[in-house]
Amino acid sequence: MIPSSGRRFDRATILFLALVAVGFIVATFDVRSDQDSVANVLREGTQSIFTPLQKGVDWVTSPVVGFVDGVSNLAGLRDENERLRSQLRASEAQLRETDALEEKVTQLELINGLTVSDDLTTVTARLYSTGVTAFDNVRYIDKGSNDGVVAGQAVVDEDGLVGRVELVSANDARIRLITDPIVSVGVRVQTTNETGIVSGRGDGPLRLEMFRALQPVYENALVVTDGSRFPPGIVVGTVMTTEKAEVGFVLRTDVEPAALLSQVDFVKVILGWSPVDAVVENNENLVRNTTTTTSPPEGGDG
Amino acid sequence: MSRSRVVIALLSVVLAIVLQTTLFGSGRIQPLGVAPALVTLVVVLVAPYLETEYHLLLGFTAGILIDLVGSGTLGIWAMTMTGVAYASSRLRARFVQGPLLIGAVVFVLTILSQTMFVLLSTLFGQNTIAEPELLSKILLPAVWNLLLSFPMIWVFKILYKPRERRFAV
Repeated sequence: MIPSSGRRFDRATILFLALVAVGFIVATFDVRSDQDSVANVLREGTQSIFTPLQKGVDWVTSPVVGFVDGVSNLAGLRDENERLRSQLRASEAQLRETDALEEKVTQLELINGLTVSDDLTTVTARLYSTGVTAFDNVRYIDKGSNDGVVAGQAVVDEDGLVGRVELVSANDARIRLITDPIVSVGVRVQTTNETGIVSGRGDGPLRLEMFRALQPVYENALVVTDGSRFPPGIVVGTVMTTEKAEVGFVLRTDVEPAALLSQVDFVKVILGWSPVDAVVENNENLVRNTTTTTSPPEGGDG
Repeated sequence: MSRSRVVIALLSVVLAIVLQTTLFGSGRIQPLGVAPALVTLVVVLVAPYLETEYHLLLGFTAGILIDLVGSGTLGIWAMTMTGVAYASSRLRARFVQGPLLIGAVVFVLTILSQTMFVLLSTLFGQNTIAEPELLSKILLPAVWNLLLSFPMIWVFKILYKPRERRFAV
């Protein structure tokens, strides 16, 4: 049916269909392109235009955000105080246990001749912007290649892993959160030492998959990075549901992210570590352990 | 067609994106955990002030900008926002009936755009349909947009006042 303003209607509809077709082609192109695609160049270009505006608006509106935060939190402040007090008491007890464990670990490291790399340098960055919609899992930080940030580096806060650096420009970078469905992290369950993969689901809990699990994973077990992509030992989260291991089946359970991703303001980007370091480090340990095993024991038969 | 009308609409879209990613970003002002969809709101509300072709191009541009700043596949929001622009330009003749009807159009088109995005991004392999709290991510922006639409109608009236010339079909 052609309405009274026939020609104009037709032109508009044709343009609408053409734009949808362009959108479809762009989407297909983006899905099929690799990391260094034209799309990423466009993303970097767009972000460099938006960054000064976002930083300016963020600076202007941060008192408003603080005020709104304060007002909305006023009602729950007393309960929150009480909850934090009890949390503090529990943390202090846990800290005492951790100190004792740390001492034990140091002794064991000395006995086994292992070394833990403490030379990971970090750079502290501030989040100044987020994605546009509720479905976006990206954040923008105010540190870039001028500060040593490169794509692929791990981003953490005081609670644990936040995400990884995705795109970098001179003075800012885009990080993709661990909750993004396309992000997967190699992990180790601390209690059993078994490895698996944690992947995002858009929001909320992460999905842990263990392909060759022999032991069950228990609720509240700590899940840390295994060193395959990010430095080993970064807390990713805690297991939410106990799950048994069955031979021939993948063990699947949910993991609560350690970092409160919706409340992150400052993060640290871990510099000076790459998966290559992990390979070298593992090889060195392997050589060291092999040498220790094959060398004849002192005072042995000679 | 006055060039300043398009410029005002384009600047409004840019401002909406900047506010969406800062003031209404994650961890900032998000009542009940979800922010309003400001860009959708702007694209719907400028409908009476732009010719259909310009409005469609504005919708497409706004969508591409959301895609570029966001984390999803490039082009999905472009398709969605073009759809929003097309639907709102078809409905703009009814905008003269008053703010209540405009609010209703904003509400419905926001829900449709969020749903369309979820479906399209799932089609392109992002599994957005399996996101937790999906319903609130679709419905709440529509509610906030409905509430914001009344002051925003007034703002656009002021912005376009010296250039008042409607393009209703």
